[in-house]
Amino acid sequence: MNLIVRITIIFVLVSLVVFLIGGIISFNVMLREVNFEQRRFLIERLDGVEERLKRRPVKDSVTWTKLRIVALEDSTEESTQFSDTLVMHNQLERMEPHLRVDAIRNVDGKSYFISLYDIIIEPDDIKDGLVESLVTMYLILLGAVLIIGFLASYFILRPFNNTLTVIKSFSLTKPDQQLEFPKSTVAEFKRLNHFLTEMTNKVKSDYQSLKEFSENASHEIQTPIAIVQSKLEVLMDGDNLTEEQLEQISFTQATIKRLSHLSNALSLLTKIENREFANVSEINLSEAIENMLEEFKELIDLKSISKTVAIEKGVTIQADRVLVEMLLTNLINNAIRHNVEGGMIDIFLKDSELKISNSGPALSIPVDELFLRFKKSNQSAKSLGLGLAIVKKICDFYDYEIRYENVEDRHTIQIKF
Amino acid sequence: MKLLLVEDQAELAQSVRNYFSKEGDVCEVAESFSKATDKLYAFSYDVLLLDLMLPDGDGLSLLKVVKENWPDMGVVIISAKNALNDKLHGLELGADDYLPKPFHLAELNARANAVFRRRKQDGKRSLSFNEIELNLDNHEVIVNGQTLELTRKEYELLHYFVVNQNRLLTKQAIAEHLWGDYMDTMDSFDFVYQHIKNLRKKIVQAGGKDYLKTVYGAGYKMKDEA
Repeated sequence: MNLIVRITIIFVLVSLVVFLIGGIISFNVMLREVNFEQRRFLIERLDGVEERLKRRPVKDSVTWTKLRIVALEDSTEESTQFSDTLVMHNQLERMEPHLRVDAIRNVDGKSYFISLYDIIIEPDDIKDGLVESLVTMYLILLGAVLIIGFLASYFILRPFNNTLTVIKSFSLTKPDQQLEFPKSTVAEFKRLNHFLTEMTNKVKSDYQSLKEFSENASHEIQTPIAIVQSKLEVLMDGDNLTEEQLEQISFTQATIKRLSHLSNALSLLTKIENREFANVSEINLSEAIENMLEEFKELIDLKSISKTVAIEKGVTIQADRVLVEMLLTNLINNAIRHNVEGGMIDIFLKDSELKISNSGPALSIPVDELFLRFKKSNQSAKSLGLGLAIVKKICDFYDYEIRYENVEDRHTIQIKF
Repeated sequence: MKLLLVEDQAELAQSVRNYFSKEGDVCEVAESFSKATDKLYAFSYDVLLLDLMLPDGDGLSLLKVVKENWPDMGVVIISAKNALNDKLHGLELGADDYLPKPFHLAELNARANAVFRRRKQDGKRSLSFNEIELNLDNHEVIVNGQTLELTRKEYELLHYFVVNQNRLLTKQAIAEHLWGDYMDTMDSFDFVYQHIKNLRKKIVQAGGKDYLKTVYGAGYKMKDEA
């Protein structure tokens, strides 16, 4: 939800509560004032009646409109009592609430009972008036708030939105990129821009040193490996070694090679993560797979694996050639390596969907760990356990959907390009 | 073949020099940018083996200097940086080949030889080992005047042996030479055996001698024992 919309909604809700409470208070205050005025009005009339009685005393009892005077036999103490009553209203022709005062007054030594009533202003009328005026005011306020909100988001928040646009274009892989935030006179935005500039610079330099480190680590390892490798070769070429010694050296060489591959694969993963493969071109996937199969033909034949290939011609994708070849090599290599003698491989490509299935022993690791680094079904020393991690990384990099399915001893990897 | 190795790792340089010297090639070593240029101006070399990371300068700038002054010299880059950019950049600047570390010495020898022969203008481009003769242009192999029918892999294998004659080739080095890096499974060793068996058979059938000796526990060696 938009910031300004949120603020507006909160404001509208709060002012609604304020208006409700304010309405109740005004209603009570007005009711009190009206009652007070009405009573004073009746008391004034009562005084008027008293004046009249002084000039013209009443014998028995008199009834006028809204007034009744009864002369009392005994002298009684003066009293005043207010009450509400319902009286038929002439013009409206319905019963209307009236305020009534019953009083006993002593005029010239004689006691009179005086009863007066008059129409009062009803609470309902006050309420109606109040509601009408408050609703109107509330609507005006609402309109004003909306206009202010719109103007605020446009003018006041503009530097903020500009900053957002700039930060969106931030990319770690463009080392020369310098973010230019628009100038703002608002202290908060100034602080934000300052902070963002510092943070992006820090992230960049950290990223750069991390990248350099992983790259350096990778080839710093290769150099000693190269020395060991060459020494072992020279050693093997000597004349006085027994078969057993030679086997030991061969084994050491193979292990050294694994170490080198491991370091290369890790540095490759880092490079993909760092988005260093940006040579995007159109790649004919059909041809790439055919070529790859040609390269692996001997390996497939060696294991007497039967392959079924159904590749639609002319399927192309936009990607970095190195990565696509890496992806295919790893997938096909996996399908062969984890296959059984005399097994099968099924390769199917249609409408940018690639399916590679192969026979092979059941997985010994959970399926959801299949694409993790160093997870291998066969813990033997032969494979690095990085092949599928690289495949997954490449798929993530290009937003390809990758799925693994296992039906009995058939393993299928499916990629949607 | 006269080579100049520009490499700051003395231990590695020594192994490489020993390896080349053993079969009569001359390999000199320069451990820095400045020493390399000194040597280049003083002597002439056929092939330059160039490490990209030098203590006093970038190998790529040395490559530029070489290509400006001695355009006919073959250059093989050997680098611990298996970075695609460096490879492309190096090849663009005129290097003939790129070999990432760690490498098999036999592989380095084969690459250097290929560059050397490709650049050699005079005479026919061929390699031979006694009665076996390889034509490098059309990949024909002639034994005692008889042309052998070899598959591409068999030709590559024989070529690798002839270039590295009298030297031990480990099964691993052969597998990597023929199938590249992805063949790191032990399966490939049976495979190497298969190919060598076929190659032997074809050479012997054409009346050649069996020079491919098995070194138990290690690999193979092409050697004329007589």
